[in-house]
Order: sequence, then C-alpha cells, then structure tokens
Amino acid sequence: MTTMRRSVMWQRVNRVLLYTAITALFLAVVFPFYWMIVTSLQPQDAVFTVPPELWPKHPTFQNYIDAWNAAPWLRYFGNTFFVASASTLISLVTSSLAAFAFATINFKGRETLFNLVLSVMMIPTATTLIPNFLIIRTLGWFDTFYALIIPFAASVFGIFLLRQYFMSTPVELWEAAQIDGASRLLYFRSIALPLAKPAIVTIAINSFLGSWTSFLWPTVMTQSQDKQLIEVALNSFLGEKGQQWSQLAAASVFTTIPIIILFFFVQRQFIEGIGGGGIKG
Amino acid sequence: MDSNRTQAQRKQAVRDNIAGWLFTLPSTIVLLVFTFLPAFIVVYLSLFDTNLVGQMDFVGLANFRQLVTSGDFWGSVFRTLYFTVGSVPVAVAVSLLIAVLLNSKVRGRTFWRMGFFISYITPLVATSIIWLYIFNPDYGMLNAALHAVGLPMSRWLTDTASAMPALILYSTWHDVGFAVIIFMAALSRVPTELLEAAQIDGASGWKTFWHVTWPMISPSTYFVVIIYTISAFKMFTQVEVLTQGGPVDATTTTGFYLYEQAFGQMHFGYASAVSIGLFVIIFLLTMLQRKVTGSKVFYG
Repeated sequence: MTTMRRSVMWQRVNRVLLYTAITALFLAVVFPFYWMIVTSLQPQDAVFTVPPELWPKHPTFQNYIDAWNAAPWLRYFGNTFFVASASTLISLVTSSLAAFAFATINFKGRETLFNLVLSVMMIPTATTLIPNFLIIRTLGWFDTFYALIIPFAASVFGIFLLRQYFMSTPVELWEAAQIDGASRLLYFRSIALPLAKPAIVTIAINSFLGSWTSFLWPTVMTQSQDKQLIEVALNSFLGEKGQQWSQLAAASVFTTIPIIILFFFVQRQFIEGIGGGGIKG
Repeated sequence: MDSNRTQAQRKQAVRDNIAGWLFTLPSTIVLLVFTFLPAFIVVYLSLFDTNLVGQMDFVGLANFRQLVTSGDFWGSVFRTLYFTVGSVPVAVAVSLLIAVLLNSKVRGRTFWRMGFFISYITPLVATSIIWLYIFNPDYGMLNAALHAVGLPMSRWLTDTASAMPALILYSTWHDVGFAVIIFMAALSRVPTELLEAAQIDGASGWKTFWHVTWPMISPSTYFVVIIYTISAFKMFTQVEVLTQGGPVDATTTTGFYLYEQAFGQMHFGYASAVSIGLFVIIFLLTMLQRKVTGSKVFYG
C-alpha cells in the first residue's frame, strides 16, 4: 500500500520535473523571439534602458510604420517571393522528370549519368562560389533574377528522393496504363507524380525556404536595390539603422513572419523530412 | 515474324534512349554549368593571380604555397575548429536532453517540438539582429541577466576573447532544433522491447540510457556532429551580420575567410585555392560521415 502510494507520488514528482525542465529549455529557446517582439514595440529611447524593460511600458506600433516606410519592403517581398517560387517550381519540374527517367526508363548511359548527378553532392556550393560568379558574369546574368533562379533550377536532393518514390511505384501500374494507351508523359503526370506527393512537398518546402533565407549567393550575384532579396535587404537596413533597435526589431519581425506562417502549415512534413532523411541511406 | 519483333524492340530501345536523355537533360545542363564546370574553373583560377577584371597572371602553385605556409588559412581552420568544439558538444547534449524529454509521455508534443525547431527555420539575418541587441555590452539583455544573478559581464562581440563564445552561443541557439529532430527520430526507432528488458533486469533509467539508448542512437550522434562540423566550415551569414569576422580576425572562420579574400580583397586566385582547401576538408568530413553512418545522403 505505502509502496504504491510512494510510487504514485514519485511519478508525480517526475512529471513536475519533466514539465519544469521542458518549460525552462523552451523559454530559453523562444526568448529571443519574445525579445524581438518586445523590442519592436518599444519607443526608440526605451531600448537603451538599463536594466532592459521585460515588458514595454509604452508600447507603440510606430516602429513598424517607420521601418516599413524606410525601405521598399514590398518590392523586396515581391522579389523574394518571385525568386523562391520560380526556383522551386522549375526545380520540381526538372528533378521529377530526371528522377522519373532514372527510375523507370531503361536508356543508354543511365547508370553513368546517375552516378555523375550523385557526385554533384560532393561539391559544396561554398567552394564553387567564385567560378559561379565568373560564369554568371560571363552569361550577362550579373544583377538579374536569372542569377538567383537558374542555378537552383536543378536539385540533386530532389532527384534522389523522387527517384526512390518512382522506383517503389508498382510496374503493373505502368503496364496497365500502356494497355489503356497512355503515353509515358501522361502516365508520369497522372499516376506517378500524384503518388510521389509527399516527396514533392518536402522538396518544395526545402527549396522555397532555401531561397527565401538565402544570403551569401544574392549578396554576391546582385547589386542594385531593385533586385535585392529580403535577407540581403534586411542586412543593408541594419547598416543604415545602426542602433535603432526598435525599428530593426520591427523589420526583423515582419520579414520573418511569412516564414513562420509557412512553417505552421508545413511543419509536420518538414520535420518528418529531416527526421526520416537523417539516417537511412 | 522474328525480325519484326527485334525491329520493334530496337525501335522501343531508341525511343527509350531519346526519352531518357530528354527527361534528364534540363537537370543535367544546370548541374553541368553551375556545379561541374565551376569545379574545374576553380582549379584553373587557383593557378592565377587575378582580380577577375583584367589582371590575370599565371603563378603556378604559388597560391597553394601561400595557403599552406601563411598562418591565415590555418588560423581560419583553427578558429572553425574552436567554433565546432565549442558549439557541437553543447548542441548535442542540449538537443539530446530535449529529445529525451519530448519522447517521454509529455502532453502537447507537437507544440513543444515546433517551439524548439522554430529558431532553426527562421532566417539568420533577422535573428542575428536581435542577438546583436541582446549581446550589446552596455544595455543588452545578456549582460543585464548576468548582472542580475551576480555573474561577471562581458564585452561579447566587441572583444577578441569573447566574440567567438558569443558567436557559438548564437549559432547553437539557432541550430539546436535540427539535432532535436534527428534525435527524436532516432529515439523513436529504439525498440521498446530492449528498454523494457533492461528495466526488468533492474537497470535504472540512467543506466538504461547509457547502455541501451546511447549506443543505439550513436549513428545519429555521429551524423549530427559531422553535419554541424561541415556547416561550421561553410558558415558565413551570422559571421557577416554579427562580427564581420572581427574584432581583428577573432571570428574569421574558413567560410568567411574565403568570402573576404575573394569579394573583399579581390584575391580571386588565392581565394580559389582556399575554396579547394575547403573542399578537401568537407570531402574528408563527408567520407567520414558516410563511413560511420552508412548514409548515402549528403546535406551540403
């Protein structure tokens, strides 16, 4: 009787400890976001208060208005959205076509080509930045959207993942489609592709997030203000605003919100994509 | 009859060849132009002293001699390793703790998991900005908090000794969510029968963890360590926003050094040699990762 009561109590203590630990870690991780929001609502002079106010005494939305009016943010959002969508769409088309061929079509040189594509993964983008700068300039694409889209119009990760999906699609489906007189392209579009939807979602999220948050590449490949992507623009804004933390925080908030909203919708697929891809070969 | 059939087969084979090459062509062209070709060009450029706008002097292996003998490159490698040693063990310990906590019977797991992961997907520039404010030595939150609990304050990003620890703190915060997800997936794959067997044998929770769980998830641990190390070598954005490699060169890690030599100093030839050095390092780390985890996927 007493041992049972003790173990129940022990369990309760354990639960309290568990939730305390999780909450503490959670607060530590989330605090900078809280601080970003609090700072964005502070009047400019309040950000220099020592010690800082944990809760704004005189919250104001003025920083958002000032920060928004200080730069052509709508343009930056438009650029980023356009570049991210275009590179995602194009890379989905190219990699699903290639993956389909690698998985289902028996063509000459298939293995060689596939190994060549896979070996691309061994060349990190950081090491090809300089020659790519030269190539982009030679193509006349410096400071254009082409420079931000076309180099990302293929995805080895996408080809690899989709190929696995297409290979696991039963051959009988293709045979049946052929008997019904379907062409290869029709089969690809109406049967194989819909079956690979989870992979497509994962690739799309990766690609979209990747180009939305890109910084080094657009820093190197673009110059004029009307070609800037959001992260580069935010860094320039930091250069202009120096220590006007409340406006900087406001700009950080409104440039981050689209990503957070997107993440809320796709977080399960995204997290499973990472968790699942971690170990298996 | 028979020759008709082989003819049909041959026709089919030709059609397959055409279809195969057509389908793979767009990806192949992009990869050839923006990955393969650059790999050769970077080797070519590394043999020149060039600013890419006129000056183009062949110097043989001089850039590599400079790379190997001058302290700058090795300094950047050393600082990158310092960054790795400072950030990875903490990131692994914290993320493993979070993953273990979240894998026990906790309510609202999706909510917690999302909270721990959100910093990883948020852009580096936006979050670096708020950390710049937090790190401010005079009125920043971090020093205020340290002061409040009676701990010594620091100049953080503005001091050569504390800039790297500050960069480590920021990056660990930003990237910890990735490891949490990897470890949560790994923990969920540990067979419950094993854990139950250990418990029946009277092993404590702590012992079960060290003798059953920890060995079972070790491929994931290696994976996390190597991925974090590789990304440390490529790290650029947070260095640019938080410190620009300084003060002096205290936070000039290899990725940043490469950028600075190329687009800051216009030493494109030497920077190409640095690129090749970086490639060798990442290549070795990737080989290690494949060997240890058996994974064929590379997250470059």
